[in-house]
Amino acid sequence: MKIVTVGTGMAAAEFVQQLRLGGFDDEIVMLSDEPHAPYSPCVIPYLLAGEPPNNVYWKGRDFYQRYRITARLNETVVKIDREQGRLRTASGLVEGYDKLFFAAGSRSWFPRPEWLGVEGVFGFKTLSDMQAIDRYIEEQAVRRAVVVGGGFIGLDAALALRHRGLQVSLVHCHERLLERMTDADGGRFATDQLKQRSGIAFHMSAEVASLDSRNGQLHGVRLQSGTAIEASLLIVATGFKPNSAALTGVEGGVAVGDDLLADPRVLVAGDVAVTRHAISGPDGLYATAPNAIAQARVAAANILGGNERYAGSLNANILRKHLDFPVVSAGLFEGEAVTFTNDRLFRRVYLQDGRIHGYILVGDSRLAGYIYNLYVSRESVAANIAGILADIRGESYYRSLMDLAPAAINC
Amino acid sequence: MKKIFVDYRKCVACKSCETACAVAHHPNGSLFGLVGDIRTQVNVRVLGVEHEAFPVSCRHCDPAACLTACPAGAIARDAASGAVVQNPEKCQACAMCAMVCPFDAISFKHTHRALPGREVAYKCDLCHQRLAQGHAPACVQACHSGALVFKVSEPQREKRAVASLKVYLLGEGGEPPLFALHRELRRKTFARRRMGKS
Repeated sequence: MKIVTVGTGMAAAEFVQQLRLGGFDDEIVMLSDEPHAPYSPCVIPYLLAGEPPNNVYWKGRDFYQRYRITARLNETVVKIDREQGRLRTASGLVEGYDKLFFAAGSRSWFPRPEWLGVEGVFGFKTLSDMQAIDRYIEEQAVRRAVVVGGGFIGLDAALALRHRGLQVSLVHCHERLLERMTDADGGRFATDQLKQRSGIAFHMSAEVASLDSRNGQLHGVRLQSGTAIEASLLIVATGFKPNSAALTGVEGGVAVGDDLLADPRVLVAGDVAVTRHAISGPDGLYATAPNAIAQARVAAANILGGNERYAGSLNANILRKHLDFPVVSAGLFEGEAVTFTNDRLFRRVYLQDGRIHGYILVGDSRLAGYIYNLYVSRESVAANIAGILADIRGESYYRSLMDLAPAAINC
Repeated sequence: MKKIFVDYRKCVACKSCETACAVAHHPNGSLFGLVGDIRTQVNVRVLGVEHEAFPVSCRHCDPAACLTACPAGAIARDAASGAVVQNPEKCQACAMCAMVCPFDAISFKHTHRALPGREVAYKCDLCHQRLAQGHAPACVQACHSGALVFKVSEPQREKRAVASLKVYLLGEGGEPPLFALHRELRRKTFARRRMGKS
């Protein structure tokens, strides 16, 4: 059986590794529109902050040799003929398959694609992006940068550049940062903390109206409010689009059930897969590393003869890189809110039928794992949750273990 | 595999485990090396909860949520000991592991093993390098009260470990009278303190 993967991202790399470790001996071909060994998108922002370059190759730089993969790199898949079981790339290469693992990932979405014609404007998604930004900062001795987009990736970019010593301005269209990861109060708390402690200049409820370029090179940006910001580097992190067109003809992602099959010969995983939420939430694109890895493992187990079902995705995430106050969240922010807050911490859990439906934790990661497990295990927590949220020493789990009553809230 | 089991009823909060762990993981390998060293790494933490004390450290779960969640390939299982081990050179301190660990067993710090100027996640490594040389984990060797025991975890237990978070507790040996007395005194002291506060 010949297996072909579209993509060499986290899902595809995990899938292939699991196949080989599970004894799969037939031909495997991996295609990517980039020239690299499999890398971790979660690690690449650190490259800008001075990380050793080899660390991005999370399964080793010799991945293709080690697992006997035919790697077809710099090949963009443009058309997949599902009837015939073969695909075609932009360069004209045709590759047949018995099983296709479609994990083509997603790409940056640019509100104004024409900006990319200006030297010094970059997306923030791929290792190629990161290497180009790194090179540009070195060559042009960049001192000032602007990041557009205050979501997870935009903040990641801004913090990495700040860590490198650049003066960073972040332009965000919303009144608070991370508005998808937080509710109104939690987002405001996180935004205030970031304003005070990150050293980044934030321009909220703002949009970039135009770029100021000289001889084709970026010199600054002008906001709709009229404010001008001088900068020779602009990073656009305003969103992503799944690369599903080659398989389905449309770009909204590929919907799959718990078998992860788009048809009997095509498995779908990673940023491009539309999956069910494991606990609370609608079907959707849940583009995080743990989901991709879990999907890849289910897919590989089934190729190896198993009969596993995907348990659904979680939207749990944590922003901590270059920050001493993590922002953690998961689930939906609907239901009865229980909150604990002080000058350093904001913790809120949303309950439905006494069970955790969603949560936001800003300030530390002490409780994050325990709350995560209460959320995933669907335990009833209505009686204890206020005491748990007020726990600043991380003792709640151990209290339950030693059959001690939850802490009184005011001590 | 062999694991560190906890019988918290026998813990007298002497913190010998913390000191021994710090020494075992210090490049200097001696108590003096720890003095004033902010990069000292202590992988076990004696948590006092009311009158009880609990030595908190990694349980080396199988399957391990942290290992599956790590997007940097920095957590792996040591083949010989079964320990879940972090690679400080690959770790980015993104905290995905801490986000899913129910035991609060993972902390962040610029340890001696971290690359210059960087925080890393750190946790108990089951002293797998000591194990390879035939020694017990440092904390277990240092524990004089029998609260920490290094013994084989039966497959039956392993299965339950996935479902229950309580499975690494010991207690089948019963509680010696002196320990019971000690705990009772602590409980009373604690209750008195609490009365005084309110």
